[in-house]
Amino acid sequence: MFINWALQEINLKIVFYGPGMSGKTTNLEFIHSKLDPSLAGELVSLKTKEDRTIFFDFMQIEVGRIKGKKPKFNLYTVPGQVYYASSRKVILNGVDGLVFVADSQPHRMEANIETLLDLENNLKQDGQNLEEFPWVIQYNKRDLPGVESVETLQKRLNFFDVPYFEAIAVRGEGVFNTLKSIINNVVQHVQSQL
Amino acid sequence: MVQTKKLRDGSRQIILNGKQYEGITKILAELATKTKASAILFADMSGQLISQRGNTENMNTTVLSALAASDFAATAEMAKLVGEEAKFKLLFHEGEKRNVYLSNVGDYFFLVVVFDVNVTLGLIRIYTKKAIQSLQEALEQESTEDISPKDMIDSDFSSLLGDALDETFK
Repeated sequence: MFINWALQEINLKIVFYGPGMSGKTTNLEFIHSKLDPSLAGELVSLKTKEDRTIFFDFMQIEVGRIKGKKPKFNLYTVPGQVYYASSRKVILNGVDGLVFVADSQPHRMEANIETLLDLENNLKQDGQNLEEFPWVIQYNKRDLPGVESVETLQKRLNFFDVPYFEAIAVRGEGVFNTLKSIINNVVQHVQSQL
Repeated sequence: MVQTKKLRDGSRQIILNGKQYEGITKILAELATKTKASAILFADMSGQLISQRGNTENMNTTVLSALAASDFAATAEMAKLVGEEAKFKLLFHEGEKRNVYLSNVGDYFFLVVVFDVNVTLGLIRIYTKKAIQSLQEALEQESTEDISPKDMIDSDFSSLLGDALDETFK
């Protein structure tokens, strides 16, 4: 969190993490398409020719002034593919809250778990840990046939019992609920530690 | 000194007071005048833009800061891979019309100087080096105001923010 006292600005960094093709960029694209341009900045995507995130996506959103304070949220995604491990680590610098976008398809379960472990490992290197850190899980792609049940996903992935959301990010379902939850979560978390 | 605090969960909180912000902005303005740089940005390592000077109207400086921070972080990883034990202190991108010079200011901040190719790099280097020293001094300024993030982010704020989010994400 970065506070500029002179401008009464509160800046928070929220990172969307998850395995490749789980829908992290899709979440940001939906948010960007729906928000009033006065509140959402440009969405920058560093992609390969094949449309895969190579470094990150970035977008800043605002909600106007609240009691004279100006909260700003910097949203980032990480590249999901396994071999971009160092890029993922780099994006976590100064992170305040995380959304873990999980792929609900059974054949992606191992990728979900592997990425979650990768996340925990990266946080640990920075003296952070998933047990105390504010994060939420989004179970994405709920519209696909044969997806894992939420019970199974919960059992395998949500070992710290964080808030979770079902989503179909391509249609925007569950996207705003997830974002709202992580923002509220981070603010309450910060508040409880001041 | 800039108020930096590690919260219980390990996340970082940085608070910049009014005096520091004023000092930073003044130094950037001076640097812009002396170097004739097109744009000068001061940002934190997480990618958050703090202050800017120069002709930045047609430049998306929010995004530029985010990209520059990642640039820094990526080269820090690169440093490790090639056996450089410290982090690289400065990065330089050379273009046909414009160059970009990036330099860290302590562990938490960095400076971005965008300048036309007709300005010599040596000049930029000298003035930027001086500016970085002044910036570090400015960051040491104690606050004369009472800074209490507790009052800034109180329970009232949380609930109002919740309402604002509901309104924004309708």
